[in-house]
Order: sequence, then C-alpha cells, then structure tokens
Amino acid sequence: MKIKKRVNHLLIHIFFISFSTVVAFPFFWMVSNSIKTKDEIWSFPPVLLPKVPQWVNYTDAFRGADFGRYMFNSTFTSLCITLIIIANSAMMAYAFSQLNFRGKNLLFALVLCTYMLPSAATYVPSYIILAKLKMLDSYQGLIISSCVSVLGIFLSRQAFMQIDKDFIESAKIDGANHWRILWRILFPMTRTTFVTLGILTFIGSYNSYLWPSLIIKSKKLFTVTMGLNSFFMSEGAYGLKWGAIMAACTIITVPLLILFFICQKWIIEGVSVDSGTKG
Amino acid sequence: MGTGGLKYLNYSKKQKNKDGLYALLFVLPALLPLLVFWVWPILRSFEISFTDWDYMSPTYNYVGIDNYLSLLKNAQFYKVLKNTFVFTIGSTLPSIILGLLLALLLNRNIKGLGIYRAVLFSPWITPMVAVSIVWSWVFEPRVGLGNFVLSSLGLGKIEWTHSTSTAMLSVLLVTNWKSIGWTMVFYMDALNKIPQSLKEAAVLDGITFWPNLTKIILPLVSPTTFFLFMTSVISALQAYDQIQVLTQGGPAGATRTLLYYYYQEAYQAFNVGRATAVAMILLVITALLSLIQTSASRKWVYYQ
Repeated sequence: MKIKKRVNHLLIHIFFISFSTVVAFPFFWMVSNSIKTKDEIWSFPPVLLPKVPQWVNYTDAFRGADFGRYMFNSTFTSLCITLIIIANSAMMAYAFSQLNFRGKNLLFALVLCTYMLPSAATYVPSYIILAKLKMLDSYQGLIISSCVSVLGIFLSRQAFMQIDKDFIESAKIDGANHWRILWRILFPMTRTTFVTLGILTFIGSYNSYLWPSLIIKSKKLFTVTMGLNSFFMSEGAYGLKWGAIMAACTIITVPLLILFFICQKWIIEGVSVDSGTKG
Repeated sequence: MGTGGLKYLNYSKKQKNKDGLYALLFVLPALLPLLVFWVWPILRSFEISFTDWDYMSPTYNYVGIDNYLSLLKNAQFYKVLKNTFVFTIGSTLPSIILGLLLALLLNRNIKGLGIYRAVLFSPWITPMVAVSIVWSWVFEPRVGLGNFVLSSLGLGKIEWTHSTSTAMLSVLLVTNWKSIGWTMVFYMDALNKIPQSLKEAAVLDGITFWPNLTKIILPLVSPTTFFLFMTSVISALQAYDQIQVLTQGGPAGATRTLLYYYYQEAYQAFNVGRATAVAMILLVITALLSLIQTSASRKWVYYQ
C-alpha cells in the first residue's frame, strides 16, 4: 500500500514537472533568445542556450525605446487607478449596504447592467468626451476614464453585507459618523477583499493595451504595452532584431514574474477565494 | 398603533432624508465616472450607429438603419461572426476542461505541489502584448520552436499564424496557455470546499473515478463552472491584444473577430457609423449570452 502510494506521488510529480516545463518554456525561450547572437537565433535546429551571452541586445533595446519611462508611466497610472477604484468602490458599496435612500434599487440595477457590457461600445464617445475635457494624451485622461470598476463595487458590497450589523449599530451609538464607520470599521475588517481588488485592478490596468493606445499619442506617455508593441513593429520592419525584441520582452515580463513568485500564495489565494463564487 | 410607533416613523423618515444626503456623497465618486465614461458613451454609440460619421468631419447625416443593413448584407460580416463564435468556444472550453482536470490532479496532500500551481498560473499575470510577441517568435515558420517540436515528433512543419487554416489555432493556443492557470486555481478552491465527509463517503461506497466525477464533483463545482464560463466568454468577446500582435486579424480575415472588426472599421477605415453598429451588435450578443447562461444555470448549477 505504502509503495503504491509512493509510486502514485512520483507519477504525479513527473506529470506536473513536465507540464510546468512546457507551460514555462516560452518564458525560458524569451530569456535565452534575448542573449543570443543573430546566428544563434536563426539557427535550425534551435540552440537551447547561447555560447556567450549577448548583453548588447539589452543595450540595443534600451537605446531603441525608453522602457524605464514606460514602466514608470504604467506603474504610476495603474497605482492611481487602483487607489481611486478601491476608494470609490468602498464608498458606493457602503451606500448600497448601509444607507437607505430613494432610487437605491434603480441605481443598483444600473450598476448591474453595466457589469458585462463590452467596453468597445464606449470607446468613440469616451474619446470625444476626453477631447472636450482637453485630456487626450495625458495621464489624467487615462486615469479618469478608467477609474470605476463594477466588479469592485460588487466585491466590496458583498464583503460589507457579511459584517455583523451589531458592530455598526454600536459604533453609531458611540457617535461615529458614516465616514468613520466606513474607513475605521468596515474597511479594516474587509481588507482582504480590497487587497484582492487592488491586485486584480493593478494587473488589469498595467497589462491593458487597447484603450491607452487609442487616447495616448506622445511617446513619453506610452504605457509598457504600447512601448513594447511599437518597438516590436519598428524593429520588425528593420531586419527583425529578434534579440533586442526578446530583451525588451524580458525587461517587461521578468520583474513581474519575480514579483509574482515572491507573493504568489497571497495573490493566487486572494484571487480564487475572494473573487470567486460566494453565491 | 401608539404614539411610540408614530415617533419611530417620523424618526425613520428623517433618518432616510439624512441618509439621502450621505448616500449622494458616497455614491458620486463612482457614479460620476460610470455615467460619463460608460452609460452616456453607450447611449451615444447607439445614436452614432445610425449616422455616416467618419471621425474627421464636424458634421454627419442620419442614415437610419443603413449601417446595420449593410453589415447584414456583407458576406465578410458573417465570417467575422463565425470567427467570433469559434474563438469564444475555442478559448473557453479547453481552458475550463483542462483547468478542472489539472485541479483534480493537483488537489491532494502531497508535499511540493504548490510550486506547480504557481508556475501554471504565472502566464496570467504577464501582459498579453509581451507574451504574444514571444509566441510570434515561437510560431516563426522556418526556424521557430513550434516547428522544431513538430518536426522532432515526426510531424510536418506548419505555417502557424501565416496560414488561414492554422492562424486561429495559433491564437487560441496562446489564449488558452495564458488562462489555464486562472481556471485551475478557481477549481482548486472549489474542490477544497467539498466537504471531507462526502469524499470519504464516495471512497467507502467504492465509487470509481468516472461516477465520482460526474455524480459528485461536477455538480458540486457547478457554481465555479458557471462563473468561469461567464467570465471567459465575456473576455473572449473582448479579446484584442493577442490578435493585434499575432495576426492583425489576418491572414485574409481568418482571425478577425467582432471586436477586431470594430477596431478596423473605427480606427483604420474611419467608418465610425458602421463600427459603432458592430459594437452595438457585440453588446446585444453579450447581453443575450448572459441572459441565456443565467437562465440555463438555474437548471444545472447546484448551489449548496
């Protein structure tokens, strides 16, 4: 019995080692091609690793495009969007779960309706609105046009509704106003939900491409994804510098992967447990 | 009703008014962007879809339902619909089925399995644009890794994104590669929540794998399946990045989905009227699908 169990465990490990290798291989391939010579890149059958690492590909990538700047742009705008969404989702969820007001059900129905709508249906008019606000091609424009999350409102409302009413009642008796109850009592009690919401919003916003590419035109404001794709297009046109392109992808992807592996347990459990199916 | 009740009634009415002011303050920070960048634009798109606007000229004419009619008369549009259908099914079903199978294998008390979960999930956190560029190199027909693997398996080389017959498959491969860890972790969580007593009962009854799966596990994880199905279909209908990097909708429109068609009409051909008509059709399809799925779920989703 014990031996059978051991063999079983071994088989499962062997299966997952091979499957994980296949899944992770594109990342390895990206890094390995980013330090190959042109000849090594174009050889067939492919070579696994270069003889001498070609760090010059990285210099080429940084010379071709200002990736440091793009990373700053994406990080900064995504952080702003994430903080605003956490704050305004919590506030609206507070109104939905703790306050009584006229039109509450109607408003909730409106929010519910926008949940699944394709954002493509908003692009052209949103662009015109941003143009009228003189906010095209700016951080502010990107931030204010992305700073609401219906998922965020749902998640926070769900979290607030699970909190014992007695807590809130006793705080009211102690003279706390709604603002205080929200930020000093409810918010700290449901912080895991907001960590999850923050992670999901940040990743989604950092990785987004289509909407930023429609409203941002100047190179110095490019997000990471825009900078990368424009570098890919321009290098692709001039004799396919795949080494530099792979170096650029590595510059963008590897810091994210390292960050993810440091806090993977936290991220995965936050995502799957909190935003999943609570009925 | 005594005076006490009346007093309470007065109090609660006052309270409601006071709440109303607070509610306004609490609701506005989210409601304002929701109205300005979601509700109003969608209504406005609906209006633009009845015009011949070209994005540049200050004026436009109302053309009734011409944009919709010209779409319905266009053979290309039906191809786009078919591609959208194929892409949606092809990016939803494999990752849900494989995600469940992987979760079933991974969901046991063996040391060291956590690292596999992290590795399989990792593609999900990376930007689609970046990984699609990497995959476009894997798909290179002459020296790419994809064809090396095929030829070492004794299979012939294929053209990947360069051929109408395999382009969709290549885009789907990348899409599923990125989302499989996502579906897997949701199923792992759902499987963890199955009561131990149920699992033990199944073992005692000597229930083997297949009936165990179909009679016990599938019904118990059905809320997760429903959730994943809904979210995957919606993100499939909005997929853009991988198509833009890998194929630009080509070759010969083989990977042009509704959203990509919208993008090309609006931002390359500047047929904004027709493009917003496409967006409205996408909106109707999304709404119909959510309605159908929600009502169908009442039959097969089993909530504990």
